[in-house]
Amino acid sequence: MTLKQQLTKLVRSKSFLFMIAVFAVLALLPIFISDNFFLTVLTLITIFSIYAASWNFLANSGQGSLGHALFLGVGGFASAIIGSSIATATANLLGSTQLPVGALSVTIQILSLLLGGLLSAGIGLLIGLACVRLKAWYLAMVTFGFSVIAATLSSQFDAITQGINGFPTTTLVTRGFPFYILVLSFAIVSIAAMYIITKSRMGMAFKAIHGNEPEAKMIGINTAKYKLIAFVISTFFAGIAGGLYAYFIRLIDNSVFSPLNSFTPLIMTVIGGLGTVVGPIIGTVFLVSIQQLLALPSVVDSLRASLGPLFPEVSNVGAPLGFLIIGIILLVIVIFLPKGLVSLPQKSKTMMPRIQKLVKRISSKFKRKKPK
Amino acid sequence: MDITAPTIILTLVWGVAIGCVYILLATGLNLIFGVMKLVNFAHGQLLMLSAFLTWTISVASGMNAYLAIIVSMIVVALLGVGVERLTFRRVLGTDKLNEIFVSLGLIYIFENAAMLIWGPQPKQIVSPFSGMSLALPGVSITYDRIIAVVVVVAALAAFGVLIKKTKIGLAMRATSQRNTTAMLMGINVEKIYMITFAIGAALAAVAGGLYGIIFSFDYQVGAMPTIIAFAIIIMGGLGSIKGAIVGGLLYGIAEQLATLFLGGIWGSAVAFALLIVVLVIRPNGIFGEKGE
Repeated sequence: MTLKQQLTKLVRSKSFLFMIAVFAVLALLPIFISDNFFLTVLTLITIFSIYAASWNFLANSGQGSLGHALFLGVGGFASAIIGSSIATATANLLGSTQLPVGALSVTIQILSLLLGGLLSAGIGLLIGLACVRLKAWYLAMVTFGFSVIAATLSSQFDAITQGINGFPTTTLVTRGFPFYILVLSFAIVSIAAMYIITKSRMGMAFKAIHGNEPEAKMIGINTAKYKLIAFVISTFFAGIAGGLYAYFIRLIDNSVFSPLNSFTPLIMTVIGGLGTVVGPIIGTVFLVSIQQLLALPSVVDSLRASLGPLFPEVSNVGAPLGFLIIGIILLVIVIFLPKGLVSLPQKSKTMMPRIQKLVKRISSKFKRKKPK
Repeated sequence: MDITAPTIILTLVWGVAIGCVYILLATGLNLIFGVMKLVNFAHGQLLMLSAFLTWTISVASGMNAYLAIIVSMIVVALLGVGVERLTFRRVLGTDKLNEIFVSLGLIYIFENAAMLIWGPQPKQIVSPFSGMSLALPGVSITYDRIIAVVVVVAALAAFGVLIKKTKIGLAMRATSQRNTTAMLMGINVEKIYMITFAIGAALAAVAGGLYGIIFSFDYQVGAMPTIIAFAIIIMGGLGSIKGAIVGGLLYGIAEQLATLFLGGIWGSAVAFALLIVVLVIRPNGIFGEKGE
């Protein structure tokens, strides 16, 4: 299939239309609900959608990474540092004391994000080379190990990264709605790009490798090459998500490498639905909503009032309770709904006749009993 | 800091004591892998729970800390049975990634439940021998570390007898070789899985009690030992008990030496660098066989 054919097929497909509809709604949402908190949460969800989608992309080729925070962090630090240095250099070049504004600043921001993504992909290539021969938990362990080493290195070479105190990002695109639109456009392009790749010939190779690697090799797929390609593409988008995240939180520090950040995209993807386009997005919405809901001041206060006496050792019950709930949900989904929340409508369709039968049986029993 | 002979000897002794705790954890993980072909990433969280349980039991009842370990061992073994039946059994034989997902869910549940119950402050189990140490010329070694080594050796010996001499051990070895054939020979494989997981959890529990006596711990303490135990198993070869013992001692000493010469932050980074180098050169571990 040529690229043109692929694109026309893509534009006509149902899930593509669905995606466009979702994004259109998302772009228009903040106009109707002009709440600052809501916009912040929405931006966060959009950034993490890219991140979760990048993890999902890698898992699609059978590689489960437990160290994706490394690429989030590399992308974040790189974009922040590159962005601020380009901005200062441009200002010097123009002979002005103020940082560039308008279209120029947007260009610089996009450039810094792309460069951050590229650097992350470069490191992804090196790590991928070490990882292509590894399977399942070996790979998980090694990727996890790299993220721990990255955290150590970034605190050791503090002069460059300022990992301990944090590197403050330069504000290039105005915060709030403009930044949200930037994030959203990046998300659309990234997720669509990953979707197109997944549907292409290359994507079929990934799927074959995930299904059964020796068999894939046998039918002539260069498994090492394709696994490496998947690694590089995934880390590129993870790096871009990291760059956006750095600009979003304004101060990027060492904590970005924490294992929690490596586990988050996995949980989001698995809860939503592994190997689907919409899955990671649904999972992200779900996870971020739970966390933000439990961090609301009013919820925190009411939780403290109700559950505080039960757990006297903990000052804020909300955060651990949230993680506990997420853990339970993850277990329940892996065991009972292995295809994620996406498969819930289908699953309920097959479950519906059974439930109806059950209801009928129970109601018929009641009917029989009533005449007595 | 000047490095003298006594400092190095002391470092080596520390390394051996810590290595012993890791060996115990690694043996449990290794056993579960060998028999069930399953990696339980939440194994270190059992160590953490056991440390807290031992602490609670010894504080609440005033029991000797080493006796409290036994009680906590039983509780954690029962917990292991529950975990195996309710979660891992349901995903066994499906996609390998599912085992990682389940482990991750368990990590979240155990860590945050512990955080809710015991709070974020670090704790340490007070042993009846705290503060006492064996004075040798130039170095003094605390009794707790010596006891830890003795307990580990005893636990491993008991474990070895169980595996090599008993009928259950024979059934476990048969299951680890080929579970379908074991089933044909009349072995209740699911029961063996349950026992295996309970033994693995009990070993982790003993490791947890000893860990809590030697170090202070909090709810996040489980993550690092799991990874270290995993590194040890990989270096020693999956399924090999002797390999785990050699790997554990080597790791404990290497970590302590790295901390002594390079500083505390480098301990884990050096360990991972070692693991990565080993896996890149030999994807199945040093003594690992081809397969799976």
